[in-house]
Amino acid sequence: MNIEHFLKQAPKCMMGNGEDSDIVMTTRIRLARNMANTRFPLSFSQQEANEVQEKLMKALLMPQEQLNFSYFRMADLSPLERQLLVEKHLISPYLAKHKEVAAVFLSGDESTSVMVNEEDHVRIQVLSAGLQLMETYERASELDDRLGKQVSYAYDEQFGYLTSCPTNVGTGLRASIMMHLPALTMSKQMNVLIQMMTRLGMVVRGIYGEGSENLGNIYQISNQVTLGKSEREILDELQKVVEQIIEKERNARKKLLERAHVTLDDRVNRALGTLRYARVLTSEEAATCLSNVRLGVDLKLIQGISPSSLNECVMFIQPGFVQQYAGTVLDAVDRDIYRAKYVQEKLGEDRLTTGEKGEETYDV
Amino acid sequence: MICEHCKQRHASVTVTTVQNGQTVEKHYCDHCASKFHPFQTEIQEEPVALHQLISNWFGVPMWKNAQTEEKKTTQNACPSCGFTYRQFLKQGKFGCAECYSTFREQLPPVLSRLQAGTKHTGKSVAVSVEQLKQKIEEIRQQMQYAIEEERFEDAAKMRDEIKSIQHKLDAGGVDV
Repeated sequence: MNIEHFLKQAPKCMMGNGEDSDIVMTTRIRLARNMANTRFPLSFSQQEANEVQEKLMKALLMPQEQLNFSYFRMADLSPLERQLLVEKHLISPYLAKHKEVAAVFLSGDESTSVMVNEEDHVRIQVLSAGLQLMETYERASELDDRLGKQVSYAYDEQFGYLTSCPTNVGTGLRASIMMHLPALTMSKQMNVLIQMMTRLGMVVRGIYGEGSENLGNIYQISNQVTLGKSEREILDELQKVVEQIIEKERNARKKLLERAHVTLDDRVNRALGTLRYARVLTSEEAATCLSNVRLGVDLKLIQGISPSSLNECVMFIQPGFVQQYAGTVLDAVDRDIYRAKYVQEKLGEDRLTTGEKGEETYDV
Repeated sequence: MICEHCKQRHASVTVTTVQNGQTVEKHYCDHCASKFHPFQTEIQEEPVALHQLISNWFGVPMWKNAQTEEKKTTQNACPSCGFTYRQFLKQGKFGCAECYSTFREQLPPVLSRLQAGTKHTGKSVAVSVEQLKQKIEEIRQQMQYAIEEERFEDAAKMRDEIKSIQHKLDAGGVDV
């Protein structure tokens, strides 16, 4: 498949309705691995980088493996194409930056990607909708086993899978849950919760990378520890924390509905109005409004908007996608204009499709 | 109210101290207060990079045997990538897998701060085709020696071992 296939739409796995999908948007599993007898990307030569790429191509593109991966070297992609892959979370910003040595394998449904020569030689990533920690891990682990039979991993009896950064050593596992927590944010409980989670060994970040903190009230919660605990223990702990947060968010939403029904109703519908009629939208404003509309849909204060359209908007309001939509490179001011146009189109479509049928059947 | 110390400027800071169980309140102006309590001012929280944290925790203070430490770490460079322990502390990253063996002694304290333990308890590594092939090659060589030394019983055992690995290898190829 050519690169265009991976740039046009939001990943299908983000569109599905997984468990607790009103609060948990996606589950992501990442496994960090390195090849034995090859220096880490931090200190390896271009020749070693090429060898790693070739070995992985042999292992992952073998016809009998039937993995159906498409392979792209970062050096062969344009800056915008790389940026789009980053915005879709299919590759990391780090991978896009190290374009001389880096490459990626992408599965057709975009649920699986294998990053090559990121900070480590291999980073297996599997993405699914909703809360599915175990299932997603199993898929990543299976691919890891198959790859592990083809290439020799750097592994130590004491330290487990060896990685460039000591924060990944051991299992090499990072599990991330992306959650939409508007009610907890509105009721100012998030700061306390973040502190609590940090103490439990979890990391909390914003969705659009570091520094974006809680833009759109979306938080990414992941495990910190990778050594001294088994994969199952790590996943179980994260699962427990996430379940508690889900319950807290549900309670907070209920309380908001009970105590401030009119204010909330006003707020979410104003947000919808802004998204439908604004002519200029900054990414901050768009993210905030999308969060409010999403909350309105979840609480049935807004009808006729499908959650998958909102998911798509969350992704498409990012600078790279706005430029792809416009078909040209844009400065910040023009991006805001095209962003408004895109969101309007997207939510307008929903009104037409769902308005007639009276149910949320619109699917992308 | 006038500052109790300089008795000139307007007192804007109240300092409460507890002495022998009694609470004493003093009133100072900004200027005098900052002299008495230089750390009262808000210290801006700066994001600390991970590698800095690691070196803050484990970096050896410069004033302490700086020279001998230097010697020790240069001797202790990783043979595969040339990383020294000091470089690891500075960057917070390893250059290659070999580093873990080179610095094995020094790592547990570093890892126990970052991690839940210093021993991997998760999934163990799969044996790769490459490694199996290597193993066969090793045994084959030993078999050759055994034959030359007319230890035929040993050689026969080795032949069987190779056969079973080869079998695994073939099965793995189909199975995968």
